[in-house]
Amino acid sequence: MATVVASRAVEIEMPEQASLWSDAWRRLRRNRLALVSTIYLVLLVAVALIALVWTPYRMSAIGIAPTYQGITSAHWLGVDSLGRDILSRLMVGTQVSLVVGLGTQVFVLLVGVPIGLAAGYYRGWFDNVVSLVINIFYGIPDVLVAMIMVFLLGPSLTNIIIAIVVTRWMDMARLVRGQALSLREREFIEAGRAAGAKPFKMLFGHILPNALGPIIVQATLGVPGAILFEAFLSFLGVGVQPPTPSWGSMAADGVRAIEFAPHIVIAPSIALSLTLIAFNFLGDGLRDALDPRSRR
Amino acid sequence: MFTKGMAIYIGQRIVLIAFTVLVVSSVVFLGIHRLPGDALLNEKVKGAAYLALLHHYGLDQPLYVQYENYLVGIVTRGDLGESLVNRGLQIRPLVERELAVSAEVGGLALVFTIGLGIVLGVFAAVRQNTWLDYLLTTTSVVGYSMPNFVIAAFLILVFGVWLGNATQGTFYYQLGAWKGDIGQIWLPAFALGFPYASYVARLTRASMLEVIRQDYVRTARAKGLSEITILVRHALRNALIPVTTILGPLTIGIITGSVVIENVFGIPGLGKEFAQSILNRDYAIVIGVFTMYAGMVGLANLLVDLGYVVLDPRIRY
Repeated sequence: MATVVASRAVEIEMPEQASLWSDAWRRLRRNRLALVSTIYLVLLVAVALIALVWTPYRMSAIGIAPTYQGITSAHWLGVDSLGRDILSRLMVGTQVSLVVGLGTQVFVLLVGVPIGLAAGYYRGWFDNVVSLVINIFYGIPDVLVAMIMVFLLGPSLTNIIIAIVVTRWMDMARLVRGQALSLREREFIEAGRAAGAKPFKMLFGHILPNALGPIIVQATLGVPGAILFEAFLSFLGVGVQPPTPSWGSMAADGVRAIEFAPHIVIAPSIALSLTLIAFNFLGDGLRDALDPRSRR
Repeated sequence: MFTKGMAIYIGQRIVLIAFTVLVVSSVVFLGIHRLPGDALLNEKVKGAAYLALLHHYGLDQPLYVQYENYLVGIVTRGDLGESLVNRGLQIRPLVERELAVSAEVGGLALVFTIGLGIVLGVFAAVRQNTWLDYLLTTTSVVGYSMPNFVIAAFLILVFGVWLGNATQGTFYYQLGAWKGDIGQIWLPAFALGFPYASYVARLTRASMLEVIRQDYVRTARAKGLSEITILVRHALRNALIPVTTILGPLTIGIITGSVVIENVFGIPGLGKEFAQSILNRDYAIVIGVFTMYAGMVGLANLLVDLGYVVLDPRIRY
């Protein structure tokens, strides 16, 4: 393909050549905020991978510099209350945030999509039960339930992910249910049923592909929610346990020393904020790109 | 507006709320009592003293009897039990006192959230596609992306440390001083409400944009009404209906957010108690406070649903 000129004339000349995905990709690239966010997130993943094999200092090594020391050439982001290198801990904290953010969305998809598809497609009593359960789950304070769950199950990364999935699965289920409800009335579904397609083939072969756009957007916007959730838990001391660093627990450490060593709270706060902002901009960009009706 | 159908609806909802609270607190109660370990056993308390202590809390009885006593206590006397860590401390008066503190900070945050959110949303909608609109819509994403403890940390940094000489750190919450001085709670309330204010602003903008294009707004303009009257009396009232749908989640957000914010600012409220009781493993308080929260969230959702009726006469229950 030659260079795509961003003008109306080109679009009108060859509209049938752009599939949904290439069309969406073109629109996403044109959204500058989403593009910058994508680049930032790619770099973030790179940092997380690098931290697997290399950090400037060992993240749990204490007393490698005077405690509370500010920014120096040896420690670019300073050291914390136990004399640990903040940059190294920030890099390892990236892994925690990304694993929680992406991991929860994988499980939310595994739980929410089949339930939503079945409820929306079959309707009837199953749909009623699912809707009632979703409404009950919306009525409970999620962070507090997660705190109690992590407290009961024991604070580990796996349990934190379980707690977030249990309290947030219904966003996806509700969205997929709505999509399935409207898609099941369309002609191609009727045609599939008339052709004798099996239920599994109907749900995952015909309904799911047509609902993929909103699902991708919802999953992307769910990532910052989960990262924030984990940071909340760790900030309160019921999340990831020491010595594993989490941006939330690093910020909590920093708040305690805010009057004389503000650099400790600033670094994780900025990392956390930028990451959440990037995921939200990417999600918004995907929404604009995948949903042609919202085209500006 | 208030009909028989509505009374039935409210009744049903209250039954459902009570049911949810009961189920949720039962799950927490049974879950906690299934934990291995013994909160009361330590090197200082042994033998007869330990047995007496068990008896004092009723922990020597079978689990189903404990559960029954717990339920009867809640339903008949509103009794939430006694703290396991600070012996003799009754939970109900404690929780009531702390609720008053939390309600003040949370209430201010709610007012702030809704007020600021609506004002910014209306401005962005009226000036659609100008630099103001772009600025507001972009910053609103930044606003609701930032964790509230990050906002709180920066507020403390600015007002407490960098401007420390000017404010003398007086925004720190002091018990007893809170009734007269709003200056001590506005920073926590801001940190609590700001992420949600951005969200409200976004929603208000979107629904204002739909409403101000409608014919009846043009009619109002043709009648020669002032722009303020058109916006506030005619457009905003209808634009607010979609916005009210997020008031329920918003209330939950403020309540859960208060758990963090009260810890950062040292506010002696319900949220701080909840977080600390979890860390102290004071199960009785965790169950009590959580039951309270579940009930509050249920009632808040009910109030929101009733609020629709006030805003939109077409909705009846």
